[in-house]
Amino acid sequence: MKPLNPFALTVSVPPHRHCGTTVRDRMLTILVAMLPAAVMASMTFGMPAIRVMALSMATAVLAEMACDYFMDRETDVNDFHAFTVGLSFAFLLPASAPWWLVAFGSAASIVLGKMAFGPLGGSPFCAPLVGWAICRISWPSFMDIDASMLGMDLTYPLAQLKNFGLDAVQITDSRQLFLGKQLGGLGAVQIAGVLLGGMLLVLRKHVSSIIPVGVIGGVALTAFLFNWIDPSMYASPAFHLLTGSTLFGAFFLATDGPSSPNRQIPMLLFGLLVGALIVIIRIYGVYPDGVPFAILLANLFTPALERIRPKPFGRR
Amino acid sequence: MNTRSTHTATAELTLNRHCPLVTCGQKVERGERIATASDPGMGDIHAPFPGSVEHVDPYRIRIAREGGETVDPAILDGLGGQDLLARLRELGADLPARGQVDILILNGVDEEPGLLSRRTLLAEKLETLRTGASALVRGYKPAEVTLAVPGGVKESLPDIAVKVVSDQYPQGLDPLVAKAVTGQEAPDNTLVVGLETVFHAGMVMETGLPVMETMVTVDNSARLISLGSPVGEILTSDGLTIHDGDRIVLGGVLRGTAAASPGQGVDRATTAVSLIRNPTPVAMDAACVGCGECVRRCPARLDPAMITSYAEFGQYEKAEAEAVDVCFECGLCGFFCIARRPMLQYIRLAKHELAKAKAQSGEETQP
Repeated sequence: MKPLNPFALTVSVPPHRHCGTTVRDRMLTILVAMLPAAVMASMTFGMPAIRVMALSMATAVLAEMACDYFMDRETDVNDFHAFTVGLSFAFLLPASAPWWLVAFGSAASIVLGKMAFGPLGGSPFCAPLVGWAICRISWPSFMDIDASMLGMDLTYPLAQLKNFGLDAVQITDSRQLFLGKQLGGLGAVQIAGVLLGGMLLVLRKHVSSIIPVGVIGGVALTAFLFNWIDPSMYASPAFHLLTGSTLFGAFFLATDGPSSPNRQIPMLLFGLLVGALIVIIRIYGVYPDGVPFAILLANLFTPALERIRPKPFGRR
Repeated sequence: MNTRSTHTATAELTLNRHCPLVTCGQKVERGERIATASDPGMGDIHAPFPGSVEHVDPYRIRIAREGGETVDPAILDGLGGQDLLARLRELGADLPARGQVDILILNGVDEEPGLLSRRTLLAEKLETLRTGASALVRGYKPAEVTLAVPGGVKESLPDIAVKVVSDQYPQGLDPLVAKAVTGQEAPDNTLVVGLETVFHAGMVMETGLPVMETMVTVDNSARLISLGSPVGEILTSDGLTIHDGDRIVLGGVLRGTAAASPGQGVDRATTAVSLIRNPTPVAMDAACVGCGECVRRCPARLDPAMITSYAEFGQYEKAEAEAVDVCFECGLCGFFCIARRPMLQYIRLAKHELAKAKAQSGEETQP
């Protein structure tokens, strides 16, 4: 029998090659970058932290699949974006968070923060922060890191600063802060791990360095100004950088593609705005850690910042 | 027709807005004109060898080799200005139609990494390039002529200024070369002509015969290849095997055209022939994920993410407001799109629809 011999060339518009990076690669790299902080969180907080992270990721994936089912579209969970949303949300929670809070917040992140705006790429907000904001406002006592983590020896420096002033902060050693010996969002305070992951993302060029540099610069600059006005009342830039979720926000949340500007100058301004808002909320706001709200507020400025754009080539 | 085997004895000439002048079975001499260009800036097409016409359709003419004569050389002495340019176009040089040209730039930078044809022309065919350049100067009558070359090239042409241009992609593309030479973006009355066209004009001037071969990069070297040579034949004679699903690219990988069949012939714009095997498709039907990679890499400072999203949903006038016409199709947006969207396809769709709408409205308003 003569074998069938199909032969047809592939025909398409250029480019005929691709750089090779896909959405899935990017999300996997983000997950790998979050791994060091996740490991440190499990070492510091033990099983409760693993429970929160696992539950949050599982809920996020199931929520996305459910949305896809009801929206009658083919599911994209294999691009791992739901995993990153779930893990990012877990990173902002206290390790003591009850299961229903984790599940509700994670599902809300996906449903309201992502799927309500269509598939990946439509959301004007960083998805995990939407869930976080809903939970923070609806169940403040469960989201209050200090009150819900009384069983730990560690202290929450940002709450001490907010409630009792700079002198009350017990952890003053930057190295302790850097190694994550503080309370806060369970993964976000693992500063060393977050920094390591963030460097990986930037060096592998999965994330442009402009936004992280902007956020860190904005925090340092604003905190320096306040600290310079009155060093006895306002904490130093290093304190603001090494506590709470500043670095996690800078590398993982503010850099979220659809909700942040795309061009260089708007990106830098966006970063500086996030950084300044973090310190301002920490000093004047009611929330000890200003990062999530700072980023959500800056997300609202993205369309305005996007209007800063150069003229197209050759247009005068 | 898609068959793996191609015959060396056949030439296939691709028609790109050309009108065929021959019919099936007609005998043609070497160099006989077989199609005329309907685009004012394009050259006509000629038979690369004597033979008989085997196949004619609106997209291609196929000629089988037979014994025969060569046409008589044309006499080009004493011509100048537009007459010379028109005559050169009749003999197959793709010389753009322009009124006044103040600055003429001969682009000697290979447009994409991996292409060697212009570099090889400079190294090996300098005499022909000289003839071609002087013909272009007589034709366009520019006030200034510049030869743009990549760094490390020592060759130059008499009475022509040399400008060294970066060959880092996309700096060798015509609009960016024009900017590098004049210091201005999209300068007025400036014409950039690729070095292969200069070479074609030079060959016509030297021999009086139409353009019948061009410099093509194959693998790691460039050589003169007769126009109409089947691309599949070029690759298989180089030791490559073409498999189902491969693509044969005429030109560079970022801007080149995919051949429809291995029998498709080399045309005058072909700077390279290469075989590309992709395990996965380059582009997929996916929505924009908003990562911003294309926006940061676009050399024309456009927002390809928005342009392609508008084109995707048929909002062409919004794509026009985003200055889609400025795009010079470097292909970088599609290369870097992490969602693997067919970026350039959407951009071309928007441009095509806008041009069509413009042509239609122009017909209606004209008395």
